[in-house]
Amino acid sequence: MTRTDLPTTPGAAEPATGTSLAAAPAAEPRARSRRTTVVVLAVALGVALAGSGALTWYLLHVNAAWQQHSQQWQALAEQHGADLAQARSDLESTRTELQAVQDQLTTAQTRITQLADEKAQLGDQTATQQQLADYQARVSKAAGQVATALATCIDGQEKLIGYIENSAQYDPQSLASYRQDVQNYCGQARDANASLQAELTK
Amino acid sequence: MTPRRGWLPVATVMLLAGCAALPSMPPPIPSDTVPTVRATPTISAGSDALSPDGFDAVRRMAVRIRNVGCGEVSTGSGFALTATTLVTNKHVVQDSARLQVSTYDGHDVDVTAASTAALADLALVRTKEDLPSSPQLAATDPRQGDPVTVVGYPLGGELTVTNGHVIGTTTDPLNATLGQVLVTDARVEPGSSGSAALGADGKVIGVVYAKNDAGYSFLVPVSTLRAMLDDKTGFQPAPTCAG
Repeated sequence: MTRTDLPTTPGAAEPATGTSLAAAPAAEPRARSRRTTVVVLAVALGVALAGSGALTWYLLHVNAAWQQHSQQWQALAEQHGADLAQARSDLESTRTELQAVQDQLTTAQTRITQLADEKAQLGDQTATQQQLADYQARVSKAAGQVATALATCIDGQEKLIGYIENSAQYDPQSLASYRQDVQNYCGQARDANASLQAELTK
Repeated sequence: MTPRRGWLPVATVMLLAGCAALPSMPPPIPSDTVPTVRATPTISAGSDALSPDGFDAVRRMAVRIRNVGCGEVSTGSGFALTATTLVTNKHVVQDSARLQVSTYDGHDVDVTAASTAALADLALVRTKEDLPSSPQLAATDPRQGDPVTVVGYPLGGELTVTNGHVIGTTTDPLNATLGQVLVTDARVEPGSSGSAALGADGKVIGVVYAKNDAGYSFLVPVSTLRAMLDDKTGFQPAPTCAG
């Protein structure tokens, strides 16, 4: 090693001294950073504590609200259950009444049908009796006509017999005319009798 | 943006996301939780299916006809075709001196005129008052096996509804109706003549006019009835016993 190396010796020592002098300013920012970190962490912790506190309060509040909400729904469900039970009871009662009304309606309809039939049967009987009465009236009328015509015929024949017994006292032409009249009366009697027989055979 | 400044938006977003994940307050209880149910009536108001007295349309359309002739009284059945026109058989109304019509509930309906068909055992009777109900005529004749309901007054008695099925078709054994007639096993009696025979849908498929010893009933099919109604000269004034 040469002398020229000597001046470098203090120089070699300077860096040591320099190093020593330069270390003092570098420690200050680290300490400041550490303090800052501590402060930040403290603030963050505080914020976190406050946040968790607020969160806890909020969750408790929400929980209470939901519990109340649940109780209200339960009360509503119970009310609806009671209403449903009442409605079912009313429905059953109404069904029973409806069945009774249907039975009554069926009975009424049956009775209406029976009454309609009874009225129809009475109408048939009335019509039949009316026809019978008409028939009897026709028979009676025909019998009366027969009796009247027969009486006229017999009366005429009796007179004709008397006229014939004393025919000398009468004009022959008048006598013949009277005989013809008597025959007509008796013919009407036969016709009336035929009508009567026709009515009787109906 | 420096890392020191970058944490603020991130923290804000995280805070908002956290708040969004928080449970919300419950909504208010609704004042009315009962849904509104619209009642659907099974029978609409004013429907022809049910009358105020509860009788169905099948019975309300039926009428009882009394033929007061010259020396005899007979009865038959019929049904309303329109408000003032009813259908029955020719042999129910012919040779009458007077026709008397009554409804299911015993009301008497005045008759104004009667006419009979020349080619079928059918007749039309016009009434002064309105009839309670009138059915619809089926568009086509029924097929074999189809159900049939007969409503009328057998033996001149109470209004009766009987059921059966269409057995088939045949020529008219009484030679009163041209063409084919329907044969059913629905029970009828004298007095049922003129009864309406209804299909499953309540429409008229025929008119009862006869029965045989085997208990089968014979119907003038609705196609014949329609043909007679469409023919302007199909019906002539009914002959009376007075001549």
